[in-house]
Amino acid sequence: MPARRIRAFAPLLLILAVACQPTSPSLSPPTSTAPSAAAYPQTLTDDAGREVLLAAEPERIVSLAPSSTEMVCALDACDRLVGVTDADDYPAEVADIPDVVIVAVVDIELVVEADPDLILAAGNELTSSAVITELTDLGYPVMVLYPESLDEVLENIELIGEAINARDQAAALTAEMENRIQAVTEAVAGATRPRTFYEVGVFEGAIYTAGEDSFLASVITVAGGDPITGDPLTTSIALEDLLVADPELILLGDAANDPSVTPEAVSARQGWGAISAVQNGQVLVMLADAVITRPGPRIVEGLEALARAIQPDRFD
Amino acid sequence: MRAAVAIRSLVGGPSLGRATAVVGGAVVVLLVALVAGVGVGSVEVGLSEAIGIIGQRLGLPISETWASTAPTILFEVRLPRVLAGALVGAGLGGAGVVFQALLRNPMADPYVIGTAAGASLGAVLAITAPVLVPALALGAGTAWLGIGLAQVLAFAGGLGAVTLVLVVARQGGRSNMVTLLLTGYAVSSLLAAAVALLLVSSGRALASVVGWLLGSLGGTGYPELAVAAPLVLGGSVWLLFRWRTLNLLLLGDEAAAGLGVDLVPARRGLVLLATLVTSAAVALAGTIGFVGLVVPHLVRLAIGPDHRLLLPVSCLGGAALLVLADMAARLVGGVPVGVVTALIGAPFFLWLLHRAAGATTTP
Repeated sequence: MPARRIRAFAPLLLILAVACQPTSPSLSPPTSTAPSAAAYPQTLTDDAGREVLLAAEPERIVSLAPSSTEMVCALDACDRLVGVTDADDYPAEVADIPDVVIVAVVDIELVVEADPDLILAAGNELTSSAVITELTDLGYPVMVLYPESLDEVLENIELIGEAINARDQAAALTAEMENRIQAVTEAVAGATRPRTFYEVGVFEGAIYTAGEDSFLASVITVAGGDPITGDPLTTSIALEDLLVADPELILLGDAANDPSVTPEAVSARQGWGAISAVQNGQVLVMLADAVITRPGPRIVEGLEALARAIQPDRFD
Repeated sequence: MRAAVAIRSLVGGPSLGRATAVVGGAVVVLLVALVAGVGVGSVEVGLSEAIGIIGQRLGLPISETWASTAPTILFEVRLPRVLAGALVGAGLGGAGVVFQALLRNPMADPYVIGTAAGASLGAVLAITAPVLVPALALGAGTAWLGIGLAQVLAFAGGLGAVTLVLVVARQGGRSNMVTLLLTGYAVSSLLAAAVALLLVSSGRALASVVGWLLGSLGGTGYPELAVAAPLVLGGSVWLLFRWRTLNLLLLGDEAAAGLGVDLVPARRGLVLLATLVTSAAVALAGTIGFVGLVVPHLVRLAIGPDHRLLLPVSCLGGAALLVLADMAARLVGGVPVGVVTALIGAPFFLWLLHRAAGATTTP
């Protein structure tokens, strides 16, 4: 849902867009034909439909999400980052940047101390709206990023490129990503799509997977799978619904971080033995979970890993 | 015993010297807490720097020896949060005294007749609405005069819930306090169930909702303070003017009637006034527990049950306690202040109870 192109006066249009937009694997070519030098001051519209005014080229960027950090670094602007989260682990040089988000809580004082001229926040309450409001009230330009599909990851990269005057780098990066996405799309074209269940985590009986119409679901679709999705808000799915959906392939994303999650452990779970994927030995550990679930520039690596798991016959 | 106390306070109050000493001491404690709260945070601002920054604000010609961000941290991030802590703590401490007197029940707190449940429903509705109806998220962070939807709905919810409780409790004619308590409990349960329903469907907003329910002072700005302060402070002062009635409440209706006072109409006014104060406090910071229950008890243990001193000192003590608790919460990083008040306060309270064993601890 390209929220950037929808003006805030048309919420109805937004509902229609959410309701009617299929997750399509086709990619729109970049529409940007503007000159590559950015003129400041400039106003950009972020994923929350907010107008963000940038008085000058940002030199001190605070990123409140690992995916945004990766985007900034992929645009050769790592040296402009003055604050990141404690969950940031890529690229290696971000380890030296001060953390302003500790255990998912934004420390406002540390953000102020970093003295940013651009703050990249995450949408859908990943950065709480109270924090976004507070930082905006303090006078910082806060740009909310929330890609909900593979296409929107590319759009976000271009948006950051515009914001930080790195359009050429953004164009080059998205062109390369599109080539790789195109290659995957062609490789899996026409293949039978297995009903694919991506396990994000299982806690206290609640099963978490890709939410309906979510970023993760769109990546699975492009990778040649037919995603089994959970609730759009909680991203959880009831075991009964999972049994009815009967996945032909189960991908264990949580196994990347939790060695106790194994195909054997899955088949031993109460009720899971009836699932086709379990009976046919189609339960795989996805070690690439970090790049599959993080909507940053490395998503193409995640996409390729997913495609190889979902359509192994199409790759050598 | 109780009657004797109340009657004594009708005749002769605390001596001027003692009142000055007690209230003055509480003011000093609060000032120390305020200074500590502004001085301590995750970013270090030295004492000399802080004094310089304040001096510069006051127009003194002081050369800058501090980082350009330090004044913002002190005046825009820390100070409003500390003031909010003081305001909310004062409101809860004062309202707690009033509810304990009204219900003559040591377990009474400002939330006991539905304020918290109503305010929670209002705030949680506001927080989850953008998640449930994406169209509302477009203006994420829209504020009217700096007051967020959550604050407005929390305030309205708190007042609304108590009004509902009062109306329902009066259906049986003259409402006694037991009926009021039980009605409050029933209405609270109903509203809490609605909150739980919203919790289940809140998706990504769950963390915000839980944070609000546990109570947090983060993100309070001057506009919210400017709206809440008159309500909390004005309400508290108004309550203080009614100390006689509050003292009489400890006697019970019959004894008061024997003195020629009908407490029923007075009681309703006190309930609404204390609810107004509580709702404003809760709208600002969420449902911070413990302060409104325990501060009145602590102060009563220290200075006795006369409301002329009990009410103002509970306000000051609640303010100091919450400012210090929030300071600890900020240092630990992202822990809701309501958790800290319980973690630090509860054992301390138990120790005091143990020490005061044998003394009267109930109103």
